[in-house]
Amino acid sequence: MPNPMPNTPKIALRRYLANAKDVARTPVTVTADPAVTVSTNVAAPQPTDALEDWLVGGDSAVTTVTIPAHYTGQAVVLTGAAYAGGIVHVIVEAGATVALEERWRTSGEHLGIWVVLDVAADATVNWLTYDAMTSTTALVKRTANLAAHATLNWTTAGFTQASGATLIAANLIGTGAKATVNVGVLAAGKQHVGYVTAMTNDGRQTVGHINQRGVITGHAHLIFNGIGHIIHGARGSDNQQENRVLMLSPHARGDANPILLIDENDVTAGHAASVTRVDERQLYYLMSRGLREDTAKRLVIRGFLEAGLAEITDPALKAELFQTIDETLVNADA
Amino acid sequence: MTTLEITDLHVKVKAEPTHPEILRGVNLVVHTGEIHALMGPNGNGKSTLAETIMGNPAYEVTQGDIRIDGQSLLDMPVDARARLGLFLGMQYPAEIAGVTNAEFIRAAINARRADDDQVPIMQFLKELDATMATLEMPEDMADRYLNQGFSGGEKKRNEILQLMMIKPHFALLDEIDSGLDIDALRIVSKGVNSLRGPEFGSLIITHYQRLLDYIVPDFVHVMKDGEIIETGGADLAKELEKTGYEHLKGGVGNA
Ligand SMILES: Nc1ncnc2c1ncn2[C@@H]1O[C@H](COP(=O)(O)OP(=O)(O)OP(=O)(O)O)[C@@H](O)[C@H]1O
Ligand SMILES: [Mg+2]
Repeated sequence: MPNPMPNTPKIALRRYLANAKDVARTPVTVTADPAVTVSTNVAAPQPTDALEDWLVGGDSAVTTVTIPAHYTGQAVVLTGAAYAGGIVHVIVEAGATVALEERWRTSGEHLGIWVVLDVAADATVNWLTYDAMTSTTALVKRTANLAAHATLNWTTAGFTQASGATLIAANLIGTGAKATVNVGVLAAGKQHVGYVTAMTNDGRQTVGHINQRGVITGHAHLIFNGIGHIIHGARGSDNQQENRVLMLSPHARGDANPILLIDENDVTAGHAASVTRVDERQLYYLMSRGLREDTAKRLVIRGFLEAGLAEITDPALKAELFQTIDETLVNADA
Repeated sequence: MTTLEITDLHVKVKAEPTHPEILRGVNLVVHTGEIHALMGPNGNGKSTLAETIMGNPAYEVTQGDIRIDGQSLLDMPVDARARLGLFLGMQYPAEIAGVTNAEFIRAAINARRADDDQVPIMQFLKELDATMATLEMPEDMADRYLNQGFSGGEKKRNEILQLMMIKPHFALLDEIDSGLDIDALRIVSKGVNSLRGPEFGSLIITHYQRLLDYIVPDFVHVMKDGEIIETGGADLAKELEKTGYEHLKGGVGNA
């Protein structure tokens, strides 16, 4: 029996899957302490849905990165190849603390990127993913599985020029696991960009928060699906999500769809969603202090995205993101 | 000396073109070096006057003019008017998440300076610290998001912080005393008074004599039905405190 299609409301996943995925023989580059083990040419994870079938199909370099138990060393940086997607499996062993950075400035036609992160008990991971792909389309899947009392702080900066879909999943499997997923997305031109960000509370007393912010200009279309799922038995758990889209042009289209599935009583859950235009009152206030309209707009937009990107502390990366925002807006005004 | 001159000003709300004019022929001259108080019953056009001078796009001037030193402001957008020296302390300041107070004030100061002459960051922070100390604002207010979650009184104090940092020629202060406790009223007044001088003029909209005990005005005007119906010195405000507005003449009446 073929694997099922994943649930991607309002996103034409089938259409993207019809494209032939780019060959991806070059593995990601890994910069890390010697204590971290890196293996290439390993077997791909077992696909469980049609998207994963596509991601493992054809030629795809597979890299496994293992961060040993109780690691407290320097950040582990994964850099995608110039012309290839790929598959990465990151294993963080018990009690380790690590900052994980993943950067993709990859070009090509139809990119496939699949990253699986397994976080063992009591480990803490600060995960930053920076997607700046310039391919025509990109299909991205990232899944994090958390064991007991593991913590994940995850920020995704979605600044690609590609159309496509990104599926993010955090699975809170062990008791007391905690995850925050912040997503900041900029879409312009004729881009169609879809995010399906899922947070599943499986273990007891697990806490999962999703916070998605997107800014769109031109004729771009951005879809934020947030899926919060509390499984039966996950007593004392909390699942919250916020999905907000800011539209800067009359032709931009935004969708924010929160979905909550709750199969347990003793839990807290909530969601908020909005699709808005730039607030004229805010612009007026800023401009009444002498700021020119473009500066005022930039401040409002940066401020809006800040909620998704606040955890990014690297000044160089932040400057790059701000520059991309400014350039995108300048082009949109032209 | 700089002069702000309002002549025969008539104003409508753009979104409601069939409604009658809110301002119906306002005449007012404010020179730098002077403090003017504007009083009058609710809903009679005081905020509309301040917002129209500043250039709020919600309002449309149907007749008359607003000039600074003879130059008409009517075709200028709000940001150009601000750079020319106008400042409006708003009755309801906007909240902007993600933009810190300090970042915003620095941008406002830099907007008035050439690209190759931006204010040095250390100099800016030093002045910001000193001004916040004068206004007895906690240090973390600099790094908080602009007005986000500020209490009513904190927002008003923050308007005065911006005023003191920007140092405009003309400050239009719309009910800057509303929501302030007694101590805050004294502190905010001290801030405004520190700006008094030959290059600073102000139009202070208020309902209460209390503020004018601290910031003693040179002129007091009363607005009713979109017109200034009475002008006097500081004593006029004291008199109104006792008598109210009822006995003053007016147009169609306060609906
Ligand atoms: N943007 C607007 N849209 C619709 N009506 C408006 C607008 N601005 C002002 N008005 C109306 O114009 C009239 C004058 O309002 P304004 O705010 O200028 O009064 P005010 O004198 O400042 O009152 P207060 O003392 O209560 O602050 C009111 O009837 C008000 O409802
Ligand atoms: Mg008012």
